[in-house]
Amino acid sequence: MPHSRSLLRVARRLTSDGAVAEDLVQETLLRAWRSFDQFEAGTNIRAWLFRIMFNAFYAQGRQARSAPVLVSLDAPDRAAEPERPAGLSLIDAAEVNRAFEELSDEHRAVLLLGVVEGFTCQEMADALSLPMGTVMSRLSRGRQALRDRLANGSAKAFRAHAVAGSAHKEA
Amino acid sequence: MNCSDIAELAPLYIAGELAPRRAAEFDVHLKTCPACMRELEEQARLDGRLREIVLADKTDVARVDRRVRESIAARPEAGTPASAQWPMPRRWAIAAMGIAAGFLVFGLGYYFMLGTRVARVYADAAADHRMEVVEQQPRPAWLVDPAEISALAKQHGIPGSEVLALASEGYHLERGRMCGLDNRAFLHLVYSDGTREFSVYLRLRDAERLPGAIRETVSGKPLRTCDLGSEHIASFETPRVTALVVADGSAEDALHFARLAAAAL
Repeated sequence: MPHSRSLLRVARRLTSDGAVAEDLVQETLLRAWRSFDQFEAGTNIRAWLFRIMFNAFYAQGRQARSAPVLVSLDAPDRAAEPERPAGLSLIDAAEVNRAFEELSDEHRAVLLLGVVEGFTCQEMADALSLPMGTVMSRLSRGRQALRDRLANGSAKAFRAHAVAGSAHKEA
Repeated sequence: MNCSDIAELAPLYIAGELAPRRAAEFDVHLKTCPACMRELEEQARLDGRLREIVLADKTDVARVDRRVRESIAARPEAGTPASAQWPMPRRWAIAAMGIAAGFLVFGLGYYFMLGTRVARVYADAAADHRMEVVEQQPRPAWLVDPAEISALAKQHGIPGSEVLALASEGYHLERGRMCGLDNRAFLHLVYSDGTREFSVYLRLRDAERLPGAIRETVSGKPLRTCDLGSEHIASFETPRVTALVVADGSAEDALHFARLAAAAL
């Protein structure tokens, strides 16, 4: 089905668990199937499907969801890494994933829909059953929160690198 | 418009939803405020990185699709009532219901696909590129001499130098003609690097804005992308022209050419 890949991609990032995400998408598509007579022809089918999924996701509640993905805290061998220029373009995937995992469900939801899936703010408002203004502010705050976490991560990494470097020199 | 307005309206601007007049005011502010421009470029860069990473996730939908089909096939309420089921052997009944569910899911999926909103200008550009470049259906009025193509561009207010500027970095201009996209006249140019062909559609910029979300910025020009089946579109606006790049190889091909074009124009 054309939208099942997008649904699964977003579900995996929301639930942080592949099996739970598949269950969520299956439930979404079955609910859509059962209530297809409620879909208004000519309206946005993608937003409708995601609305069903987010309703199911929020209905499950945190307890029913899986534990967050465990991320290794072992620092990679940063001493071997080349110096990174300022800016975000070279931030590695692990750092982005870790920062993204730390965001709230609400911020992850708008970033996944708006940034990754290319939803307009109006489509997000439809999918999340929220006013446009709330979507816009969540998107701005979500972007800022991600940047703050990445900046903190970079600063921590730099401090760890500096400490490791000075320890190496002393040895 | 001040910096606070820019911060507030950035999500709408990036998503291409700002009304044309407000978008023009937004552009004017960006030109005069390096801090806001830097901020927007940084946002676009982080958006691009996040998109790249999440889109690289492995998502195998085959298992989910199969489970959905099986669930639909196994539910009497989704089909006919149990009392009305045909008196056929159970395994044949299950197989028939499975096939029926497959058709129904496919039909539902096709309807879902049709329900997705696609900007008309992008749909027209993808169809035109497929017909004119991929399938190469014979059409008159193609010009192949760069000087004649430049002259045609000038007739429609597009500086000929811009047409030639795109033929850099290993790409050469193959042919050009006028065409219509979304009831608007566009200059259709075909560039090639010897192995791949790219369509570039140009028209003089007016108050109408390109639809779609901003993927990144190149030399201060927001780049938008849209994938339509095997056609991939990247679009941008300069102060003078609106440009659409269409590639049939990959989204990255379209983006790469659009980056060069946006930097050159």
